Amino acid sequence: MADATLQHDAVGHGLPGAYEAPLFGAYSKKVGMWLFLASDSLTFGALLFAFCYVRIYTAWPTPFHVQSIINSTIMTGCLLSSSLTMVMAVFAAQRSDRTWTRYWLLATMAFGTAFIVLHGMEWSKLIGEGLTLPLFPKPAHAAVGEMVDISKNTPQFPATFFGLTAMHMLHVTIGVIYLGVIAFRKWFLPVLGVLWIVGYLLIPSDNVFHWGIHALGLGLIVAAVILFLKPKDYDAQDVEVSGLYWHFVDLVWMFIFPLVYLLSTKIT
Amino acid sequence: MHDATAHDDSKGQYFWVWGALLALTAVEVVLGYKQIFSPVRMLEVLLVLSIIKSALIIGYFMHLKFEKALMRWMLVFSVTACFVIMYFFFFPDAGRILRLGVQ
Amino acid sequence: MATPATVHAHAPQGFIRKYIFSLDHKVIGIQYFFLALTAVFVGMFLSLLMRIHMIWPAAVLPLVGEIKPETYLSLLTMHGTIMVFFVLTTAPQGGFGNYFLPIQIGAPDMAFPVLNMLSFWTTFVGFIVILAAFFVTGGAPLHGWTGYPPLSALSSAGPGEQLGADLWITSIAIFCVASLMGALNFITTTLDLRAKGMTMMRMPLTVWSWFITAILGLLAFGVLLSAGILLLMDRNLGTSFYVPLVVVNGVVMGHKGGSPLLWQHLFWFFGHPEVYIAILPGMGVASQILSTFSRKPIFGYRAMVYAMLSIGFFGFMVWGHHMFMSGMSPYSAFAFSLLTMCIGVPSAIKTFNWLGTMYKGRLRFHTPMLYAIGFVSLFVSGGLSGPFLAQPILDIQLHDTYFVVGHFHLIMGVAAIFGIFAATYFWFPKMFGRMMNETWGRVHFFITLAGTYAIFMPMHYLGMAGQTRRYSQFTEVAYQQKLLPLQTFMTYAAIITIAAQFIFVINLFWSMFKGPKASDNPWECTTLEWTTATPPPHDNFGGVTPVVNHGPYEYGVPGAAKDYVMQTDPPTGSAH
Repeated sequence: MADATLQHDAVGHGLPGAYEAPLFGAYSKKVGMWLFLASDSLTFGALLFAFCYVRIYTAWPTPFHVQSIINSTIMTGCLLSSSLTMVMAVFAAQRSDRTWTRYWLLATMAFGTAFIVLHGMEWSKLIGEGLTLPLFPKPAHAAVGEMVDISKNTPQFPATFFGLTAMHMLHVTIGVIYLGVIAFRKWFLPVLGVLWIVGYLLIPSDNVFHWGIHALGLGLIVAAVILFLKPKDYDAQDVEVSGLYWHFVDLVWMFIFPLVYLLSTKIT
Repeated sequence: MHDATAHDDSKGQYFWVWGALLALTAVEVVLGYKQIFSPVRMLEVLLVLSIIKSALIIGYFMHLKFEKALMRWMLVFSVTACFVIMYFFFFPDAGRILRLGVQ
Repeated sequence: MATPATVHAHAPQGFIRKYIFSLDHKVIGIQYFFLALTAVFVGMFLSLLMRIHMIWPAAVLPLVGEIKPETYLSLLTMHGTIMVFFVLTTAPQGGFGNYFLPIQIGAPDMAFPVLNMLSFWTTFVGFIVILAAFFVTGGAPLHGWTGYPPLSALSSAGPGEQLGADLWITSIAIFCVASLMGALNFITTTLDLRAKGMTMMRMPLTVWSWFITAILGLLAFGVLLSAGILLLMDRNLGTSFYVPLVVVNGVVMGHKGGSPLLWQHLFWFFGHPEVYIAILPGMGVASQILSTFSRKPIFGYRAMVYAMLSIGFFGFMVWGHHMFMSGMSPYSAFAFSLLTMCIGVPSAIKTFNWLGTMYKGRLRFHTPMLYAIGFVSLFVSGGLSGPFLAQPILDIQLHDTYFVVGHFHLIMGVAAIFGIFAATYFWFPKMFGRMMNETWGRVHFFITLAGTYAIFMPMHYLGMAGQTRRYSQFTEVAYQQKLLPLQTFMTYAAIITIAAQFIFVINLFWSMFKGPKASDNPWECTTLEWTTATPPPHDNFGGVTPVVNHGPYEYGVPGAAKDYVMQTDPPTGSAH
């Protein structure tokens, strides 16, 4: 096993080894991540195709107010900027500048967290207005208005909205945890645990995120298992590979944003 | 990795890409409100813009532009081919449901 | 980097790290193999219950008691799902692929050993979850392995559609994740860890088949994952992706505006490549064995590779032939029909090359060879009914009849199983260091071959006579009375064939402990796994990395000392 890792690092560094030159000319971790992303892009692609499929034969409502669009545009800006800071983190890691790698990763995580928080607030606002799924927890006082009608008459609208954005939000959350583990290793786990518990206690129980926050708990468990299995110091390759994942999350949002938000803007 | 130094001096290009992405996003948002195009045309324009944006992200941020040609083509081809196939077979059906008026 | 590397540099000690949570691809391969062996017996038991119920509907059976129509549907659902996912996908790819892909390319292990271990244990969890569906309220789901909504999306649609269906979908989703991890590991290993001289065109066809299968899995399972997520949302969050306005038992369901066709598209976008995921490794194994036991180079190595590649490529464009009767756009049906016919071409090339390999060879009829020939036979007879079903016009008559059941059981089920048997008899000496019993292997082969033909060939006639699949009882239906003798015959054949499988299991376990010791290369085969010790050491080649000088199938080379040239033999003038 270790031989595989060692030899294979030799391959990655382009040293003459006992192996054929790798066909893709990159080290294995990078190839593996690219393959995962190819697969994941099909997962998202299938979701987007399902969305478009339903949308083609359904009379589609256009309820998003200016605030929603402004909010989502800021979110888009956050993600795009986080990609830039990620690139900087990769550069710093390649210079073996650990301090700055950590700072840039932290900046990326901050942007990502900002995205999640903004998105969560957006969700809560829409659910409060009545855009909801039948089995979401009911808000304390029943809403009235356009969003309620949409949920009733075109259930596909909230279904696709929440489905697509939840899947994406999950990916962003995984991304932030991933970067946190890369940057801080096991010292990130307590932070994650505290966030999970505090989030669960603070978010009121009629909010979906009261339950959604358990994604952090799952992430905590998975991260702990992986750190237990591979207790190593992450190097420039790991930073670059985590960067690939992060950029992919950004990329997916570039499709979700226009399809879900911009094509449903309310024109007054 | 090995060619880190070769790209280090061109850090500026990433800021350009970042600026271009933000600008394209702004264009999309404006288009969303201006309604210059009919809905279907609008969808196409937005999708083309999104594909340009994702190409920028994949090419520069994800560094695929600087990878080996074989890797570039294999990955892009396999994923794109799947989407093209899906496109050709999913949407005629959706349109058919619309025309048949199934509830 | 250095610290963990030195920790793991030697073979791990202790039972748990060595045999349970092992990172060694060989142990993981054997774990996959035994998982599939367990699953195949569960699946076979379910099929036995179905066959018995079909001719003796009143019989009270062990473990399940009296079989009600919905119990029958549960049986067929679980039989299909367990067989397709946990046997046909798990054994050839996860089992033999894991064990032999790294050895055959000269690598010490997979590219990501930890991921490899995780992928096995995720598969294992998936298997436990699907078995749990038997024991929850309402029992196992009714919707067949294809899980068509609205039936699969409404918990009030039937007794098995409550928690059982949720568990079913969860298990499939878990399996998707496990397969993704496995697939990207396989691809990366093949791309990056080939020994010096092992160029792509010197890889054994088995490696090619696992490689292409992994690519198919990588692209197909992602789509199934999102289809499953949407179905789970329909079931548990009340969304309506797949469910139109429906009334169940007089109650209007809260769904509206969904399209069941959407599920069918997404499912079969995965489902058709899945067929090739099941059969391609069998093709690779058959090529390897036919060449070895005919003592001839494989006929048209490059053609074989390109045929597999084009089968994989076309495999993504034909999913609609499962949906001719679904109300899909007829123009799409036309395109799908044409593309499906196209797949016959590479399949025929492969068959031709297998026959060409055997032609004028010095055939050695050991058990693996018998199974490889059986594979070709089943592949041809199952494949021939493919062009019938590929035509929308004929499909109107044959859709959802026993004709379809016969077709896919022969080509995807039994042919792939024969590939697994061939691989087991062929590689058993390398895996466990002992030979399997030849005589009992032959007995097992002839009973199984005759038995599977006896079970599945009559199904074609039943189908053409109009007998529909998934119906629990035919004994009370007047116009199907005349078909009952054939059904009875099939049931007896099934009982005998299933009984014969115990010969295999006993042979397997007996040989594992009591069989004669195997030499390093008992079949005089050329590929890399036969150059190392039996069973292979922890890092496969005992600290060295082999250097490859020859193609994979150099048998009967003129002027050579032996009738075969190992891939690692020093280069000679006569060999290319």
